[in-house]
Amino acid sequence: MTKAKLTKPRPSRSEPVVWSLFAAGGTVAALLLPVHMAILGIALAAGWLPSDALSYERALDLVRHPITKVYLGVLVALPLYHAVHRLRFVIHHQLGLHGGRRLVAAACYGTALAGTALTVATLVRI
Amino acid sequence: MNGTQGGRSPLYVRPMPRTWWLQTRRYRRFASRELTSVAVAASSVILLALLFALSRGRDAYEGFLGWLDSSGAVVLSAIILAGVLYHTITWLRLTAHIQVVRLGRRVLPRRLVLAGLLALWGGVSAIVAYLHIWL
Repeated sequence: MTKAKLTKPRPSRSEPVVWSLFAAGGTVAALLLPVHMAILGIALAAGWLPSDALSYERALDLVRHPITKVYLGVLVALPLYHAVHRLRFVIHHQLGLHGGRRLVAAACYGTALAGTALTVATLVRI
Repeated sequence: MNGTQGGRSPLYVRPMPRTWWLQTRRYRRFASRELTSVAVAASSVILLALLFALSRGRDAYEGFLGWLDSSGAVVLSAIILAGVLYHTITWLRLTAHIQVVRLGRRVLPRRLVLAGLLALWGGVSAIVAYLHIWL
């Protein structure tokens, strides 16, 4: 009886919000993450960048600009919502853990919200 | 999933092995696409860690750059970069399939929509690289 209740389909009010964030985050991730990961993860270590490209002073100057802050907030936070939305389905369908859907959803979106809060707090402090 | 979905009519759900997503090429490609979410999340975490280090001052920031320079971080970054590149390709292809672009009464072919999206990606990446490195 309890099981039937749990799997009963019902219209979800949160689905449109969650899906919009998933789509927006997916687009931000697709257009922007590769170039950032290529610069920070590969080009820096390979020595392809000018010596002062990532210097502390230059980084501070760049990040303290309000437009950069907004950009970085979007760049870091939105992909989190995209990723956790997909991770929910990876957990249920690929790892085969079908139980605890509410708990998994709460943990996933909670992590994305916490990441957003940390991102905003960090950007405000710089 | 069980036989009582909806509460009224019984619904047969074919039992699937846990490793169903390894069975065919199509499933494996689907699973790879979904698993790019791990690379996307990891990218966000690395960028956030860099910003966090920057907010903690020069030593923390330069320490983090030193970690990025280590061979372990480069291997990790290469794996993450491969993941986000796969995400980009699959996401733009999906977008080209979903988004209908009309010019007057004609519908733009998907190939052209995809070409436009790839050009947008290239342009945006070039601008970001320019501002990030040289400006």
